[in-house]
Amino acid sequence: MANRQRGLTRRDFIRGTVGATLAVSALRMPWSEGSERLAPLSLVTVVRDKNVMDAGYRVDPKILQSMVNRTLLQVTGKNRVKEAWADLVKTEDIVGLVPTPHLNPTHQELVDVVKESLMREAGISEKNIIMAQGGKRRPGKCTALISMPALKGHWLTGIGTVIKNYIMYSGRPSNYHEEKSAKLGEIWLIPEVKDKTRLVLVDAIHPLCDKGPQPDPRYKWAYNGLIAGIDPVAVETVCLKILTSKRQALRGEPWPISPPPICVEAADKVYGLGTSKIEKIKIAHFGWGEDLLLE
Amino acid sequence: MTGFFSKTLFFLLTMMIIPSFSKDIRAEMTKKSVKLPKTIGFWTRSDNARIIDSGNIFDYMNGAGELYLAYGFDHLEVYEYTSDRQDRIMAEVYVMYTSNDAFGLLSLDWGGEPVTIHSTPPFQSEPCVELPVRALYGGGLLRIWSDNFYARVMAYRETVESKKAVLSLGQAIAAERKRPAEPELLKVLPTTVGPDWKLRKDRIGYFRSHLVLNSLYYLSHQNILHLDHSTEAVTAPYEKRTQDGATKYVQVLFVKYALPAQAGKALANFHKAYLPEHQKGFDLGITTRQTHFFKIEDGWLGYALDGAGLAIVFECPNRESAQLIIKHITDYTVSREKNHGK
Repeated sequence: MANRQRGLTRRDFIRGTVGATLAVSALRMPWSEGSERLAPLSLVTVVRDKNVMDAGYRVDPKILQSMVNRTLLQVTGKNRVKEAWADLVKTEDIVGLVPTPHLNPTHQELVDVVKESLMREAGISEKNIIMAQGGKRRPGKCTALISMPALKGHWLTGIGTVIKNYIMYSGRPSNYHEEKSAKLGEIWLIPEVKDKTRLVLVDAIHPLCDKGPQPDPRYKWAYNGLIAGIDPVAVETVCLKILTSKRQALRGEPWPISPPPICVEAADKVYGLGTSKIEKIKIAHFGWGEDLLLE
Repeated sequence: MTGFFSKTLFFLLTMMIIPSFSKDIRAEMTKKSVKLPKTIGFWTRSDNARIIDSGNIFDYMNGAGELYLAYGFDHLEVYEYTSDRQDRIMAEVYVMYTSNDAFGLLSLDWGGEPVTIHSTPPFQSEPCVELPVRALYGGGLLRIWSDNFYARVMAYRETVESKKAVLSLGQAIAAERKRPAEPELLKVLPTTVGPDWKLRKDRIGYFRSHLVLNSLYYLSHQNILHLDHSTEAVTAPYEKRTQDGATKYVQVLFVKYALPAQAGKALANFHKAYLPEHQKGFDLGITTRQTHFFKIEDGWLGYALDGAGLAIVFECPNRESAQLIIKHITDYTVSREKNHGK
């Protein structure tokens, strides 16, 4: 509905936790330089293939493999997949894959393709690739993480994709509901997780733009894409843009994400995880261009 | 040492067994509320329903559980139908404390194709919503309000056969059940206000929690209106066409508290949190009846407190429209009080 995206007003800063959390950024704490610390532009790739999923929602692993390869090359700027992986992980790394486990989960085919590629192209042994979703002991064992959430809206936090993907590492997921969702970014800074995420690879093959995390087929659509980057906040910001555009297209009138996803801005301004400013993000699109939702 | 280890082993085994055993007892003790067919079309269900209550709802659906706990939630029964020919069908029956709670869950989204699934006649009452919709279907998902049941029946892949099966399961869930009227509170929302403002009936939401309010219309991440299970609330936008062909929306919110004192305290808190620049001269809580209007960043805001009822309108283009809308709502509630709710 026109003119109804409230966003964060000055009143949000006056009221309790949200204000207290986000207002820290105004003080420019040394650990909260946020996006200003990063390169001028954060690169986010959007790779799509119309045929990666058929009408029966079956995913073609071969097409997915080529999409993953394209993603790796573009994110790293390398010419070969082997070189791309070498830019992200070391052969001696213990790599944790962190997919969304259930309720609109990450496609298993994507997890399989990434695992296979890590073994074949990056030279990581199978025993050193672990499924790292769950308690924080799992990322604690890893020296590198690949975050692989599925794209979905979330009725409590607005979006439940990148920043929220590590919520189980907190050991207290219910502590991040309501206004406390602004603090989801702090989980990325716990010792078991901090500085380990080498790639954020979002499964946007069959996303959900409303009523998540429970599946609702009316709000799922075949985007047939992978969204990736090394800046988690930039990737989440691009995901938000896609969800917002899809919602407007569905209703034919503005349909803002509600509640506003305060965790994204906080991840930038309070926790310094990346940039939430769309003008500071370079979006590189490859492949199928119909209904890209990034205009 | 051997004795110590034996006792420790016994203790650990007991601690492992008791929770799973008690969970089974709890599942058995919770009486199943619906009788669904064993086989429907290509699909056959497992023998036992999975019973979910407030103690394990987060294990079942993560944060989505907050939605159901935000209403009067008793338990959930989950039936899974599988077929070797087509994708599975999941039937979830949410048993709520009241019909209003079940209605509230349906009201969060009026999208989809209205379908008829009840065999019993509706409660004879003037409908609040234009058509007293009780079941909506779209994309393979059927959502049902049937007395104190809210149900979601979903085919993981929609086909002609799965739609038929989903609708049949809906009929089985609603069979022989009462059809109470919509919540009385919906009647505070006039269909039109003045010559211009029209109620968006497809956006009416009924709720008891600020979490649900925020999913319909974001107000604050904190519970500044003191909403809880003892309150009931309704919100909806009104729209009007402007001369230049654009559409202008305002948002109406009406909350009914259990007691006038609670309403007064809630308003005082709302005013303090939401209107911090308008504190001077306001001593809320002294009277149980008051009306005020304020210009803020996104337009005019008006509120009226009348006993246990609190009406608020947001984003009005001017003071006059805010006054008009608040007047229509309060006139209605006052006249109903005089007529003893008739």
